[in-house]
Amino acid sequence: MPIALLGLAVTAAWGVRQTQGAAMFEVYNFVTRPFQANGSGQEQLILARTQELQAQVLELETQNQKLKELLNYVSGQKKKGVVAPIIGRSADHWWQQVTLGRGSNDGIKTDFTVMGPGGLVGRVVSVTPNTSLVLLISDPTSQLGVAVTRTRHMGFLRGKGKNKAVMEFFDNVPNVKPGDVVSTSSFSQLFPASLPVGKVVSVDMNKTPAPEAMIEFSAPINSLEWAVVYPHSKETEKPDQKDSESPTSTPQEGVEKK
Amino acid sequence: MKSLRRMSSRSRQFLNFTVTFTSVLLCLLILPTRMPGMELLGISPNWLLMWVVAWSIKRKRTIWGAACMGLVLGLLQDGMTAPYPSHAVSLMIVGALTVVLLKSWSIPADIVERDPIPIALIVFGMALLAETVMGIQFFAMGDRALMDIWMDHQRIALCSAILSSLWAPVLYFPLNRLWEMTRNLEKS
Repeated sequence: MPIALLGLAVTAAWGVRQTQGAAMFEVYNFVTRPFQANGSGQEQLILARTQELQAQVLELETQNQKLKELLNYVSGQKKKGVVAPIIGRSADHWWQQVTLGRGSNDGIKTDFTVMGPGGLVGRVVSVTPNTSLVLLISDPTSQLGVAVTRTRHMGFLRGKGKNKAVMEFFDNVPNVKPGDVVSTSSFSQLFPASLPVGKVVSVDMNKTPAPEAMIEFSAPINSLEWAVVYPHSKETEKPDQKDSESPTSTPQEGVEKK
Repeated sequence: MKSLRRMSSRSRQFLNFTVTFTSVLLCLLILPTRMPGMELLGISPNWLLMWVVAWSIKRKRTIWGAACMGLVLGLLQDGMTAPYPSHAVSLMIVGALTVVLLKSWSIPADIVERDPIPIALIVFGMALLAETVMGIQFFAMGDRALMDIWMDHQRIALCSAILSSLWAPVLYFPLNRLWEMTRNLEKS
């Protein structure tokens, strides 16, 4: 009898694991509904929003410069996002994840991009009907291709937990200084290009094999209460990339290991 | 107590099972929350670890039974975060080791049941161990730098151990009380 019960428990637990805890998150969403975000911390959000806008303006200026050189540029139309409350954080200590209170019922799918006030926040990794699990860009396994907006020097970003990340450059002598804005590069396959990510805090040129910069995310990742989910998938993004990129560039970075 | 005694053995077992199941469910549901006063540097107590220790610390638990419970809760936590590396490994080790610890050091069970200090100490040690096992697994997987894992480990292990050991009695005493009561009634 105890063996049968234990066997049953193991089977049930295995089932939960295989379904990515779908049932758990649905129950969690139901139980925590009365306690979900109510919009405090306005000032911090507004400050972050201003930073996002500044970063976007800088990004657009640089892009505009490039556009003047290109004649046959076709702009992609803007997509509409789903606003979702953040209802939970990571269920253990090693992963940097959040749970959103909207899921496939609202049209969210895996690989969608999650933005917060201030900039990029993460990527949807699994979805249930009413919740979705987001891997934050601050997670060490989350790697994305980024570029310094001012000088277009490329590199890739590795999360360092909390609110910081390390950017490793491809060039040996990149033109970068503290205060520079960093955004996703067009090499990034997991994220759309030119989303504001953060600001350079310090630069270490002597680091081997490549120079590194400390990045502070512009979105207040630790105090977020709402996020906006934008559609994105690797397949639909490819034709866009071909249009906007020069033929010599090959998509190579921003590949994330699961 | 009286109403418990009046119940039939079967319905008492059912009640026991329901409370056990509900406590696991509550532990799982509390994992994604970060309540004020329950978090240190963004880290919350490791509720599943506390549950496994509370389960294993009872008299008459076998090593295999405790390891199995660790496996079950570990798989559940995997479902809620990411499947690799598995949390089951650390929780199985924690369950088995708690049983071994109690048996080999023959700590009198009634001391553990009356005093919150031993349970807090055991949970503290086990939390350190569990996070170390997780760290080793991350290192073995090889997608994080050793230096990063080491820095994370220090922060995570210490915060998780402190918080878990402080909250452990809250989980342990009610559960233990129920299991004791039903067991005593079974005997008499």
